[in-house]
Amino acid sequence: MATLLINGKSRTIDAAPDTPLLWVIREHLQLTGTKFGCGMAQCGACTVHLDGHAVRSCQITLAQAAGKKITTIEGLHPEGRHPLQLAWIAEQVPQCGYCQSGQIMQAADLLARKPNPTDAEIVDAMSGNICRCATYPRIKRAIKRAAQQGA
Amino acid sequence: MTTPLSRRAFLATTAVGVGLTIRFPLLGSGDAAAAALYEPNAVLTITPDGLVTVHITKAEMGQGVGTALAQIVAEELEADWKDIRVDYPVADAKYGLMLTGGSWSVNWTFDALSRAGAAARLALIDAAAASWKVAPGECVAAGGVVRHPATGRSLSYGDIVKRVPITRTFSEEDLKKITLKKPAEYRVVGRWTPRLDIPEKVNGRAKFGIDAFLPGLVYAKVAYPPTREGATRTTLDDSAAKRVKGYVATVALPELVAVVATSYEAAVKARDALTVGWDPGPNASVTTETIFAKFAQAKDDPSLQAWHEQGDVKGALGGAAKTHQATYTTDYVAHMQMEPMNCVAFFRDGVYDIYTGSQFQTFALGTLAAALKTENKNIRLHQAYLGGGFGRRLEPDIIVETALIAREIKRPVKLIRSREEDLRRDFYRSATLQVLKAGLDASGKPVAWENTLVASHPGRRWGKDFVDKKGLDQFALNGADHVYDIPNQIVRAIPVDTGISVGYVRAVAPNYTFFAVESFIDDLARLAGKDPLEYRLSLLGNAPRLATVLKLAADKAGWGAPLPANTARGIACVSAQEKKTPTWTASVVQAHVDPATGVVHVEKITCAVDCGIVVNPDGARSQIEGSLLFGVSNALKERATVANGQLVQSNFHDYQVLRMNEVPEIE
Repeated sequence: MATLLINGKSRTIDAAPDTPLLWVIREHLQLTGTKFGCGMAQCGACTVHLDGHAVRSCQITLAQAAGKKITTIEGLHPEGRHPLQLAWIAEQVPQCGYCQSGQIMQAADLLARKPNPTDAEIVDAMSGNICRCATYPRIKRAIKRAAQQGA
Repeated sequence: MTTPLSRRAFLATTAVGVGLTIRFPLLGSGDAAAAALYEPNAVLTITPDGLVTVHITKAEMGQGVGTALAQIVAEELEADWKDIRVDYPVADAKYGLMLTGGSWSVNWTFDALSRAGAAARLALIDAAAASWKVAPGECVAAGGVVRHPATGRSLSYGDIVKRVPITRTFSEEDLKKITLKKPAEYRVVGRWTPRLDIPEKVNGRAKFGIDAFLPGLVYAKVAYPPTREGATRTTLDDSAAKRVKGYVATVALPELVAVVATSYEAAVKARDALTVGWDPGPNASVTTETIFAKFAQAKDDPSLQAWHEQGDVKGALGGAAKTHQATYTTDYVAHMQMEPMNCVAFFRDGVYDIYTGSQFQTFALGTLAAALKTENKNIRLHQAYLGGGFGRRLEPDIIVETALIAREIKRPVKLIRSREEDLRRDFYRSATLQVLKAGLDASGKPVAWENTLVASHPGRRWGKDFVDKKGLDQFALNGADHVYDIPNQIVRAIPVDTGISVGYVRAVAPNYTFFAVESFIDDLARLAGKDPLEYRLSLLGNAPRLATVLKLAADKAGWGAPLPANTARGIACVSAQEKKTPTWTASVVQAHVDPATGVVHVEKITCAVDCGIVVNPDGARSQIEGSLLFGVSNALKERATVANGQLVQSNFHDYQVLRMNEVPEIE
C-alpha cells in the first residue's frame, strides 16, 4: 500500500512499490489523460508534474512518488482552462491528440520557469516530446500565445 | 491470415470506383406518430432537444474527419452548427464499407452525406408544412428551424421531432434527384470551423482505445516469437509465471501464448517469467542485405508483369537519341503511431464486445469472425479515438489476439503492447528497389519510360480480394503510373515476400514511387540541360491543375533566386495515391548540406495543394503541415533494418522520428 497526493487528493494504491507511476496513474487510478508511448523516457507522452517539475512518469516508481505532489493533465486547471489549454484550442493544435497531454504538461513546466521563452528555449524544452502527427509548428505557436497572455 | 471478406467490395470500390459514393441504406420510415427521436437514415439522428448527432463511420485519427463529415451533413440539413454532435457507432453492415484510408473519406462520402442531410431537411419541412396545412414549397429551413414566412410561423427541428409526425421517406432514386447546394451557397462547408474533438484532447478526457475500462478488467501480455514471420512454439513452462502476485491464467493456443494477471505490471512480470521455446522458422537468417539481394535478383525475372503499360517502350527506347538508367532503393519504415496497439475484449453469452480504434471495421469484423469461428452478429466493435492511425490500424491483429484471450478467460481483458512489441510486430512500409530507364529524343524530351518496381505487396497477405488478377496490390504500386506526358511507358511490378510483414504506411506507395519518379525526372532535366521546373511543366500537358500548383509553389518559394553556399532548392510535384483522385500537390524544399559532415538540414518547405472543395480549411492545412513533416521524418530520420528475421530497432531511441528541433519553416 502506498499513498499518493495526486491532483490535490490523497489516494491509496495497492500496487508493488516498483510499479511505474505511469501505470498507477493510468490503470489503477484511471486518470487516462496521461499516456503511455515508449516506457523509456524517449517520447514524453507520460509527462506529469512531480513537486512542480515535469517528469516522465514511466521512469518514476510508485515508491519514489509516494508523498510527493503529483499533477496530471486532469489537475492542471480545475476547469481545463489553463492558458496553455486555451491556446492549444485557439491554435487548433492536436491532430490525433494522443501526445498532447504530455506536450501541455511539458510546456506548463517551461512557462512556470520561463514566462516569456525564446524560440530556442521552446525548442530546447519541447524536443523531448514526440508528436508523430508532427503538430510541432502549432505547439510552438500555442506556447507563444499562452506566454503572451501570461500563463 | 486469410481474409473472410467473401465479396469483392473492397477492390470493386477502390479499383474502379474512385468518386463513387458509399450508399447509406434507409432505416425505414419515420414513425407515423411523433417519435422519441428522428432517425431518417444511418447518417444522423435528431432528438427532441434539437441536437443533431451525425454518426461518423470513419476513424477519427487526427485528420478531423468527424468535424468535416458533420459539416457536410449540417450544410444540407440547414442545421445550426452549435446543435451538431458526432458519435462513432458500433460497427454495423448498415454503414456499408467501414474503412478509413487513402485520403478517401471526404471525397467519397461528400455526395452521400450531402443527400442524407438534404433528405432529412426536406422531410422536416414537409412535416412542419403539413402541420400548418401549407405547401412545403412555401417553407424554408435555416439554422435548425423551419419557417413559413407568409404567416410568420416557425418550428425548430427539435419541436418537429417532439410534436409532429415525420412521414416522408426517400428511395435511392429520390435521393439522387435532390438538388444540392452550389458551392457559392455553402455556409458551413469551406468555413473555418473549430474541430469538435479538440477540446477534449487538451484536458485529458478524450478516450482512445487504450483508455477503455470494464468492471473486473484483467490484463494480458503475449509472448511474441523471435522472428516476424514463421516461428513456431516448441515448449512452454509457466511454473514461474504462476508464482507472480496477481497471476490469473496462462492462455496457450495454436495462435499465441499469453499470461493474464490482475494488473498491467503483474502481467508483464508473469509474461517475463514464462519460459517459451521457439523454432524461429525459415526466416531466422533474414537480414536487410539478404532482402535487397533477393530484390536485385527479382528485378531480372523475365516473368515480371506489366502493371501499367502504354505505347511501345521497346521500340521507343531503341530509337531514342539518348538513354538513361538509375536505381533507387528505399528502406523499411515503421508506423510508430504514438498509441501502441491495444484492445479490450469481453466474451460472454456468445457475444464479443471489443473496444479499440480501428481504421477498417469491415475487415476487422470479418477477420475476427473467422478467427473466433463465430458470426459477425456476435461481435460488437466499439470505436474509440485512434492515437495515430497512418495505416497501422487497418490491421486487426491486436483485436484478434485480445478476442482469442477473452474467449478463454471470459472476463474483460485488456491487451497493451509495449513500444518494443509494437515496433517489432508492426507491418512496415516495404523496402523497395526501383530501376528506372528512359529514352530521350534529340531535344531531351522523354519518349520512353520503363520502371521495374520490386517490393513486398501487403494485399497478398490480406487475401485475394486485395490483389488484382495478376496477384498485384495496387497500393504497393500507385504513383509509378505518374501523370507526365510520355507516350511510351511501362511499369513492371514484381512482388517479393521477404519474411518481414509489410502493410500500409501513410500515403503508402507514393512515398517511394514518387521519390523515384521525381528524382529520375530531375536526372532527365539535367541530361536535357533544362531547368527542373520548366522540364516538368513541359510534360504536364495532361495535368493542368498539377502544373498550376507547381508554378504556384515555385513562385512562392522564389525558385531560381540565389542562395547561400551549400544550400539548394529541390522541386517535386505529385498526384494523389490514385491518379483519379483530384488532389494535386507540389513542393519546393530548401535544404542545407554541411560539407564537413554531410548532414542535411531542411530549412524551408513551400507547398501548394489543390484538393478541390475544402470542407474544413484549417483541418486541411493541419493535415498538409503534418504530412510534409512526416515525409521529412521518413526521408531523413527513419530507417528500419532487419537482422535474424526481425527488426533491429526497438523503440524511439534507435528508431528516430522528427522532433521539434528539426522542424523546417513551412509556407
